[in-house]
Amino acid sequence: MKKKLACLLLAACMCLSLAACGGSGSAASATPAASDAAETPAAGGEITIGTISPNTGSLAAYGSAVTTAVDLAVEEINAAGGINGSQVKIVNADDQFDPTECLNAFNSLVSQGIGLIIGSVTSGCTSAITDAANEEQVCLLTPSATADSITTVDDYVFRACYADSFQGAIAAAYAKQSGYTEVGVVYCAADTYSKGLYDSFNTACEKYGVTVKAVESTASLDVQDYTNQFASMVKAGVEFVYAPYYYDVIGPYIVTQARAAGYKGIIMGADGYDSTPDYVVDGADLSVFNDVYWTNHYDPADTSDKVQSFVKAYEAKFGATPNAISALAYDAVYMYKQAIEKAASTDATAVRDALADTSAVYTGVTGTFSLDASGTPTKGASIISFTSEGTTVTTKLVDVVKELPQA
Amino acid sequence: MKKRTGKGYIINTAVIAVIIVAFAFIKSAFGGNEQFRLIIVPSLWQCCYLIILAASLNLILGFLGQLSLGHCGFMAIGAYAAALISLAFQRAGVFTEKAGPAFVLVLIGCILAAGILAALVGLLVGIPALRLKGDYLAIITLGFGMIIVNIINNIPFAGQEGLSLGSASASLYKNGLGFGTASKVTYLWVALIVTLICLTMMFMFIRSKYGRAIKAIRDDEIAASASGINTSYYKIFTFTFSAFFAGIAGALYACANATLSTSSFAFTNGGILNSTFIVVMVVLGGMGSLTGSVVSAIVMFFVNYQIKNGLWVKSLPGFLGGIFAYPMLVYAIILIAVIMFRPRGIFGTYEFSLLNFVRDIKEHRAKKALQKAGNKEAKSND
Amino acid sequence: MSTFIQTLIVGLRLGSIYALVALGYTMVYGIIRLINFAHGDFIMVGGYTMIFTIPLALAMGLPAWTSVVFAILCCALVGMTTELVAYRPIRKKGTSMTALITAIAVSMLLENLAQAIPAIGPNPVVASQIFSTGGFSIAGVTMEWTTVSTIVISAVVMVVLYQFTQKTKLGRAMRCVSEDKEASILMGINVNRTIVLTFAIGSGLSAVAALMYMAQYPKVYTTMGMMLGLKAFVAAVLGGIGIIPGAMLGGLIIGLVESFTTSYVSSSMADTFVFLILIIVLIIKPAGILGKNVGEKV
Repeated sequence: MKKKLACLLLAACMCLSLAACGGSGSAASATPAASDAAETPAAGGEITIGTISPNTGSLAAYGSAVTTAVDLAVEEINAAGGINGSQVKIVNADDQFDPTECLNAFNSLVSQGIGLIIGSVTSGCTSAITDAANEEQVCLLTPSATADSITTVDDYVFRACYADSFQGAIAAAYAKQSGYTEVGVVYCAADTYSKGLYDSFNTACEKYGVTVKAVESTASLDVQDYTNQFASMVKAGVEFVYAPYYYDVIGPYIVTQARAAGYKGIIMGADGYDSTPDYVVDGADLSVFNDVYWTNHYDPADTSDKVQSFVKAYEAKFGATPNAISALAYDAVYMYKQAIEKAASTDATAVRDALADTSAVYTGVTGTFSLDASGTPTKGASIISFTSEGTTVTTKLVDVVKELPQA
Repeated sequence: MKKRTGKGYIINTAVIAVIIVAFAFIKSAFGGNEQFRLIIVPSLWQCCYLIILAASLNLILGFLGQLSLGHCGFMAIGAYAAALISLAFQRAGVFTEKAGPAFVLVLIGCILAAGILAALVGLLVGIPALRLKGDYLAIITLGFGMIIVNIINNIPFAGQEGLSLGSASASLYKNGLGFGTASKVTYLWVALIVTLICLTMMFMFIRSKYGRAIKAIRDDEIAASASGINTSYYKIFTFTFSAFFAGIAGALYACANATLSTSSFAFTNGGILNSTFIVVMVVLGGMGSLTGSVVSAIVMFFVNYQIKNGLWVKSLPGFLGGIFAYPMLVYAIILIAVIMFRPRGIFGTYEFSLLNFVRDIKEHRAKKALQKAGNKEAKSND
Repeated sequence: MSTFIQTLIVGLRLGSIYALVALGYTMVYGIIRLINFAHGDFIMVGGYTMIFTIPLALAMGLPAWTSVVFAILCCALVGMTTELVAYRPIRKKGTSMTALITAIAVSMLLENLAQAIPAIGPNPVVASQIFSTGGFSIAGVTMEWTTVSTIVISAVVMVVLYQFTQKTKLGRAMRCVSEDKEASILMGINVNRTIVLTFAIGSGLSAVAALMYMAQYPKVYTTMGMMLGLKAFVAAVLGGIGIIPGAMLGGLIIGLVESFTTSYVSSSMADTFVFLILIIVLIIKPAGILGKNVGEKV
């Protein structure tokens, strides 16, 4: 009997705590409700920008890349007097690299009265909140979600990076330009990013008259052995393989195994190859990394002032070289700054209109660009190669492609 | 006994009616409220599918006594089936916008179809369950879960290229049954009623002849089959029945999220929706207590939500804040502690019932009164 | 022909790693009938121990692989602690189901604890080269020494383990405990000590598996034990769990199936085939390939 009562009591406590969920939420909303009043910010006010990033879970590295870069940008902006005289405040939410959690995080930020959001990092998570952003009329600026369909004309969603269709097409154009007419692809069937890039590369190959002769895939990102896939490439006789994977697969697994399987041609990838040199095997023969090319948003070794001051400031603050996602997140904050200044308001709709203006030119770490009608930057990509004399891997800028060549 | 059952029906129906009226009132009063729209309603949707999922797993885990490690696979089937069917109906012109009786019919049809498809696969998984048990069965269900996810990934019109990429997810939102914030409020009744019906069916199942039979199988399979229970039939039936509800939970998931990605239905991932964590929920709540599963699903959702989004968590000082940055670590420790001190879960096999609740309170009062009287007597004796 | 040999080699090297991991599963299962889900995470513990101790070994002028000694000690310690703190108290009062769920909880705990430790964190790390590269070639395909040594080591470990369980006193005690706990107490066997020692050996083996895994696939991350552990576990079940040669056989079969599916059937459906093979084998032979069907006592 007592046990039963204890259980009931426990259940009652739990129900009460659920009720308190609503309660604590509404208490929270009371404070940022002031942001309505701050829509036309007076000097000395506060502008709140929300960020959504995967701080925990398997892509936690990307989460910290975003939060650190956003902190750096906000610190700089606040030190220089803020935006229109108001200080910037960041409210961060974690999406665990899970679409459901991403939507929860988004709703939680919106319910706090935040109308300007930077996020999320991956295409999968971001596509879970684009519809909600339009419905709630909240400005969403994603630093790094490259899936084509994220941004559409007449919506509240913008991004700081180029889209997959551009990135895949650049690789195809590069293959054609280097004289390869037959290419192969190795991609991951279970990963949105990898699959999306494969699709756009495939389409662009048709356009440029390049034949995709061999296609191999892997069932998950947990696969360790890629030897068979590259052996098929050798068998098909291709000398250019497009392998859109992430750095933690490229560095320790793919390149070494591809060479061991007898594949000597070019391996081409995309922005996921960023930070590969930190993930190579010390003491192994790293000359295998020669002839590996990839497209990126920026080159940290770029000598322009903008890039160097960002890289130096970031290194001084966090003790590491910023990757492309950090650079994009940093640019995203400055894009908001410029748009808010232009709109002279922090109202989401006004900022959206400012961002939707295709004539505005943004000068960021990842290049000077303006947004197209859908809200995707029209900017060039850097083609970067790895070079190695056997003991370390370094990157070398090969080319900066401003726009796609004609078919 | 008969009379008592009748009384139970009356009380339960009355309470449910009161809750529905109260809910309708809350909805009309707070429908425009930001908190209600953005936090409470999406939370309720998520609770609904988690409740159905946990309770349906409990049928296998708690009542039949078999471990299933691929339950989210059934959910994935339900989610993708419902999403694709709704898109097909839209293309066929059955409905054009998310309103009107045609859409409601399609919605209900999709939910049912999701359940039935998942049940068919459940039947398939149930067959090896005849020959295997315990650890071997667990590994088979795990294998099925993996296979389902792997196959969905490779289906051109579903998987990665179909429904998780932005374009198609936008189409699920625009053309299918994916709900935005406003329609989630409008169709909240669907989620609640579906959950209620599912729970009622499961309660009725475990209190029926079937429920008693599978509990007998759990306690002693040999004795059960010796006393004339067709164990094979009941095992397969339970797997199918449980998969049916997991499929329905999947359909609700598709409605609530409007984006589908197979990573959400994996064996494990960083979040609370995966085959392993559903097992954790059931074990914490109590293996053999649907009440436990319901409460546990709600509490786990709530705790996870608060850790991720609660403002108070962000203001916690150093050490505590550090712990909450790794919620899965906390859950693992809680799980080990619960198994150590209450091996059958917090609720054990206790089932909440309004009728008993009323009776228990009465009895408790009577007992107290008796005790008081006893005390007085004892005092007067002094 | 060269494709066939290439595929065979890949299958063998995957398979021998699965076999090494599967041996650990089988040891523990054989004695307490518990699927030690945390075994995959012991490999992660071993991997990180080596990441931290390889520089130490190199500084002492020893070859990199000697750091496996630290890893074995560390893994054995973690294994014994798990048994003493988590499994034993639960075995006393719970059912086999609760024990299994505890194992899942321990696995969750280890993975997330590793993530919470600042020196480890969520980012993967890449090990340095452990064995020297190079190998010999058959029909134009290079067979690396690392691959050869993995196969040899797993075979040697299997033989030694088998002899150990057959010939030594402790090994016989282990078999005795797995057969009948009560009777072995009557025979004067210290059951608890035997179980702890089994855990120590099984977990120590996972450090050896971690060494071979890292030599072949040098990435270490907190959830590395998950898929590896699952596949190895499938291998153990396939061969007949609790049977030492069965683990070896199952591991090689899983590795070969995976490799040949990738090469000849469909590279993205490899997982489906691995698990399909398992399901088919278990339906035909519920105790695994080498397992004996034991009738239930009434």
